Amino acid sequence: MMLKWFRQLDGILRGDAIQIPALKHGRIDMPVGGVMVVALILAMVYGVCMGAYAIIRTAWSDTGVTDDAVMQMVASAVKLPLLFFLTLVVTFPSLYVFNALVGSRLSLASVGRLLVAMVGVMMAVLASLGPIVVFFSASTTSYPFMILLNVTAASIAGILGLAFLLRTMGRLVMAQNRIDFPVVQTDEESGDIAQEDEQQISSSLDPFQAHTDTKATAVFKIWVVVFAVAGAQMSWVLRPFIGSPDMEFTWFRERNSSFFLEVLKSIAELLGA
Amino acid sequence: MNSLLRVDDILRAKRWLVRGGNHARSLILVVWTMIVFGGIYGSVMGSFGGARFYQMLFSAMKLPILLAATFILSLPSFFVVTTLLGLRDDFAASVRAIVATQAGLTIILFSLSPFTLLWYVSFDSYDAAILFNLLIFTIASVSSQWLLRRFYRPLILSNPRHRLMMWSWLVIYAFVGIQMGWVLRPFIGYPGTATTFFRAGAWGNAYSEVLQIAWRFLGA
Repeated sequence: MMLKWFRQLDGILRGDAIQIPALKHGRIDMPVGGVMVVALILAMVYGVCMGAYAIIRTAWSDTGVTDDAVMQMVASAVKLPLLFFLTLVVTFPSLYVFNALVGSRLSLASVGRLLVAMVGVMMAVLASLGPIVVFFSASTTSYPFMILLNVTAASIAGILGLAFLLRTMGRLVMAQNRIDFPVVQTDEESGDIAQEDEQQISSSLDPFQAHTDTKATAVFKIWVVVFAVAGAQMSWVLRPFIGSPDMEFTWFRERNSSFFLEVLKSIAELLGA
Repeated sequence: MNSLLRVDDILRAKRWLVRGGNHARSLILVVWTMIVFGGIYGSVMGSFGGARFYQMLFSAMKLPILLAATFILSLPSFFVVTTLLGLRDDFAASVRAIVATQAGLTIILFSLSPFTLLWYVSFDSYDAAILFNLLIFTIASVSSQWLLRRFYRPLILSNPRHRLMMWSWLVIYAFVGIQMGWVLRPFIGYPGTATTFFRAGAWGNAYSEVLQIAWRFLGA
């Protein structure tokens, strides 16, 4: 069962689920129920990796592993899936409404599946960076460094996930417009080999060059930026994820300032200012 | 003698190491190379200030550990991004190219070890020894990228996207490897102090240490 779900996510990562034939009817039919579970697990894995900083830091001090540190790890494992879920809750309604407004034929279910697939990609990338985060947690005591490392890891995962979303969207529009793949045979002298190569190189991050439903794609492009900003600020609301060495454990901290100001502050602190 | 000739194949980036050929055989060869040649450079590194058996032994063990641990930590993200770029079918071949390059790195280090010995014989300064080893590692890393490019050439020819993967690998590997080298200190060992496998209380973060040193330097 579990293995099957992981295979589903693997199919998405490989790009099998979003090849043109699968999108022929302008729908996304891939099964995503299992992907949700797998994404949840992967998010919790990364949450544990984040919380490892608190555990390892206290384990090596005189106090030994404190209850606070254990709670921090539990909290991170719970809050990391929550972060992505809540960000989707915040951004999904407007996405669907604007998507429908501009006349896209994507159904609610299709948009939902697309977003689940996107979160699956993000979590896979994030969890794969987990070992590196644990390693740095074990070897560094610098709190601002850990913040910036985690921000970088999340940004990499976010960017790859959103890139996946835009590519899939592009293909979907292409499939709807019933443009056959490969796209245009511009130059007959360019040879068949090159064409074949073009066809073989297909992945979930493929760029595509074709006429697109510019309005619907534009909505998704704007949404990608909104998702990134909202997600970043959501992470600020849900902090602490890492656990400052100077503070006691709390589930949430007071809500002031913003993600972007604090990242700048961390950079300044790391630089020694 | 026969296996020595095959080590030469790594330096010449022979194709059988990456594609085709007997995979078990090439794996044994590269692992063996990493342990032997990495071990030799490690022991040379640890010989600063006269031959100290334990320091040399520890450094000989730690150098292959450094490479292997960095490799293992960097592999999961490499795997996911490779899949995402649609290159999963070539994943095994990419990993073989990377591992073979790491073996090549140890051979290059080995070939530079006489210079390190000469330096140790000529100068007594511990700081200078550290800086000289840093220089040797930089030279070896930069030249091993040559090797990586040669191993990667058939892959890049089959799909240009492998070029991106190659550079991603180098960035992740360097980022983790620098910190790993820092954590596994001491490789050289301060003469006159007790030899330990790990340096107690000296973990810290390579990047923030370097920034702090740079900051002090600029501020003072």
